[in-house]
Amino acid sequence: MAGIVISGVSRTFGTVRAVDNVDLEVEEGEFFTLLGPSGCGKTTLLRMIAGFCELDSGEIRFGEKRIDRLPAHTRDIGMVFQNYAVFPNLTVDGNVAYGLKARRLPAAEIGRKVADALALVRLDGYGERWPHQLSGGQLQRVAIARALAIHPQVLLFDEPLSNLDARLRVSMRGEIRDLQKALGITAIYVTHDQEEAMAVSDRIALMQNGKLEQVGAPADIYRHPTSRFAAEFMGTTNILQGGALRPEALRLAADAPAAWPRLAGTVERVEMLGPITRADIRLADGTMLRMATLDAPQLGLAAGDAVALAYDPARLTVLP
Amino acid sequence: MTLAIPHNQRLPLAIAALGFLFLGLFLLYPLFNVFGASLLDPDGERLTFANYVKVLGRPFYRGAIANTLGIGIAATVITTLLAVPLAFALARLPIPGKGALLALAATPLVLPSFVSAYAIVLLLGRSGIVTQWLQSWGIGFGSIYGGGGIVLVYVLTLYPYVLLPTLAAFKSVDVSMEEAAQGLGSSPGRTVRTVTLPIVLPAVLAGALLVFIETLENFGVPFVLAEDLPIFAVEAFKLFIGETAPNPASAGVLGVLLILTTTLVLLVQRRFLSKRRFATNARKTPPLLRIGTGLRIAATAYCWLIVLLALVPFFAIVVLSFMEFRGPVLHPNFSLANFGFLFDRALRPLGNTLLFASLAALLATLVGVPVGYVVTRWRNGVATVLDVVATLPFAVAGTVLAIGFVVSFNAGFLVLTGGPLILVLAYTVRKIPFAVRSASAIVHQIDPSLEEASISLGRSPLQTLLRIVVPLMLGGIVSGIVLTWVTVASELSATVVLYSGPWRTLTVVMFQSLEGGGAGIATAAASTLIVVTLVPIALLHRLVRRYELA
Repeated sequence: MAGIVISGVSRTFGTVRAVDNVDLEVEEGEFFTLLGPSGCGKTTLLRMIAGFCELDSGEIRFGEKRIDRLPAHTRDIGMVFQNYAVFPNLTVDGNVAYGLKARRLPAAEIGRKVADALALVRLDGYGERWPHQLSGGQLQRVAIARALAIHPQVLLFDEPLSNLDARLRVSMRGEIRDLQKALGITAIYVTHDQEEAMAVSDRIALMQNGKLEQVGAPADIYRHPTSRFAAEFMGTTNILQGGALRPEALRLAADAPAAWPRLAGTVERVEMLGPITRADIRLADGTMLRMATLDAPQLGLAAGDAVALAYDPARLTVLP
Repeated sequence: MTLAIPHNQRLPLAIAALGFLFLGLFLLYPLFNVFGASLLDPDGERLTFANYVKVLGRPFYRGAIANTLGIGIAATVITTLLAVPLAFALARLPIPGKGALLALAATPLVLPSFVSAYAIVLLLGRSGIVTQWLQSWGIGFGSIYGGGGIVLVYVLTLYPYVLLPTLAAFKSVDVSMEEAAQGLGSSPGRTVRTVTLPIVLPAVLAGALLVFIETLENFGVPFVLAEDLPIFAVEAFKLFIGETAPNPASAGVLGVLLILTTTLVLLVQRRFLSKRRFATNARKTPPLLRIGTGLRIAATAYCWLIVLLALVPFFAIVVLSFMEFRGPVLHPNFSLANFGFLFDRALRPLGNTLLFASLAALLATLVGVPVGYVVTRWRNGVATVLDVVATLPFAVAGTVLAIGFVVSFNAGFLVLTGGPLILVLAYTVRKIPFAVRSASAIVHQIDPSLEEASISLGRSPLQTLLRIVVPLMLGGIVSGIVLTWVTVASELSATVVLYSGPWRTLTVVMFQSLEGGGAGIATAAASTLIVVTLVPIALLHRLVRRYELA
């Protein structure tokens, strides 16, 4: 197990700077997420760490050891892919044992480690099955067990949940997070889903155009974005007086502390989503604000109503 | 100190280097010598276009070019006009016996076309069985020798080249497009014309150009049917083998012209198709159209007529091979004498055919699969060049490649003429485009992340290729070996130039008995060839079904 140090890493494809002079340090045992829209360079950076993409410049270290010139198969990495990449010609046991056999471990030890890894992902007893007999969620568990079985220095996740349905995504991300924390293996996780990133990560690096836009703990990036891009990518954002304001920092004036600044507007649209209600409110100067509030029995918003709003001035983040 | 080649480039680079080495020695070098022979003066010292001027100056060879192109175009147009409706009927109309029709329709692809040509001669030739029978009723018909007969055989043996891709295209048309057209008020007929046909057009053209190239390169069919009509591939062969004065320079000129023509056709096809990609990802095959009983009977009759007509010559040859021949004259009695003559003289040609086909199929696979893997996975300039070179044999007629082999390997650093290896190598080179194409098609279907998963788990790229990629390709590789084996077994055009003494094959025996008038032996050799071809295909079908391969 080791931390990861990425320094001055760049890669150009044709005229596109896919990864542009990135510096990053990931702590030992940390769950670190590369987040960004498609084409931002997050996957390229992950594939550089894995050894599937060459660096034009810069270097990558695991702890003290420089690895960016090593062949991919000698880097001691457990990787989990978006489309599972479970070998269809091997059983579940064969898949999980694959990396252990490559390391020429004794058969008895392989058997034990395979059983342990399958138990970790709650697939005990599935060893004899063939991949085509499993569901998507089970396949991804096999892929995770296969990556964990070799006790790698580093775990890499390349959008591992994007092919699963919404409910399964939520439960699997919790399991991945718990496993990583229990085993203490440094993990880098790539996703374009900011909610998923915030749910699993110790820290997030938000990327755009091959560069790091902002690095920090999930709450930190959400509450204190340093750019309009960061603000808008992390969630719905109102731009007010040159600052960013989250929808939940707005309240109806009647429910707000007296010290909060007031605004007057007209309700244009209301979306009742169950636990929360969202409303679009147009101010007199034409600005549109998006408000979110927890559902409550007395809440009576309707399109066309004139409303008085208030916002928490402490949560207005000034953007550069 | 390691080479400054990135580690993940080493395996593809090594494979590409070996591929270039093989193709360089056994494809580019012989072709270079054919070009050389065509461009050198009689002393072999100075470069000159005199050979081209001489050959093209003679009306006989200009006629050969015109005949070849004319026959090719006629055969291509007729084939397309017959095969497209057939494909549509099989894809979209309720035709009884569709499974059998499809299996039968694919068989002409693996059966030797010159056997079909020979059967036509036996049936409809001057002293043909049908001809004589009709004459006894006082009915005569035009000669099947010359252009008409050649076109007929081409249409009957090459139509699957258009049928199969067009059928696949018709089946992959997304029905929602047709529904959209009809929703906008288009009648079913107009919808087929304005929506469905344009979508399948690239597939039709791809198939039609394959037919055209096959007609340009074919040696056996014109050899049997052309008589005095000069045809490109046959004249190149005659010039080179020339009983009086072998003329490699003039043969080279014809060879070069043939290569240039086929290359031009291929380039036109690539250019045209690269601009038109109408692949529609239909999730399910389109439903059958409802048609009236009359139309249904007509469509059924049409399908069965074409498919069966194409197989009649092969069926006739098998029947005739069990009849008694006295010289060229047929007597309608059952007899095993033909096979007696064929195998009595020697089992050796049959053994040679089986041996060469097996060796060439294995060698073509050994070269084709890694090369196909590299050109699919490794997208860069080197891979593109390798792909082009590996496709090149497709544009080279067997006769021309064989001439190159003789010129290149009858003296010097590598002498192969007179032995069996030269045949195996020529077959291998001829089949490499198919091996590469089919390997590439399978690799396309293997998710690259499977290989990355294997590598990240600690297997080197080479081990990953052997342990993950090859097992996943196995079904396709087996099918490829069988198809290569079958087409090599009935190869004629390179064989007749390259065979020697004890290394005659079944096709050579047949070829020689055609010239010598030993019709009985020819029919026996032909039906042995048909069996040799169909048995592995049938076994492959069973294998595929049992193990769900491919």
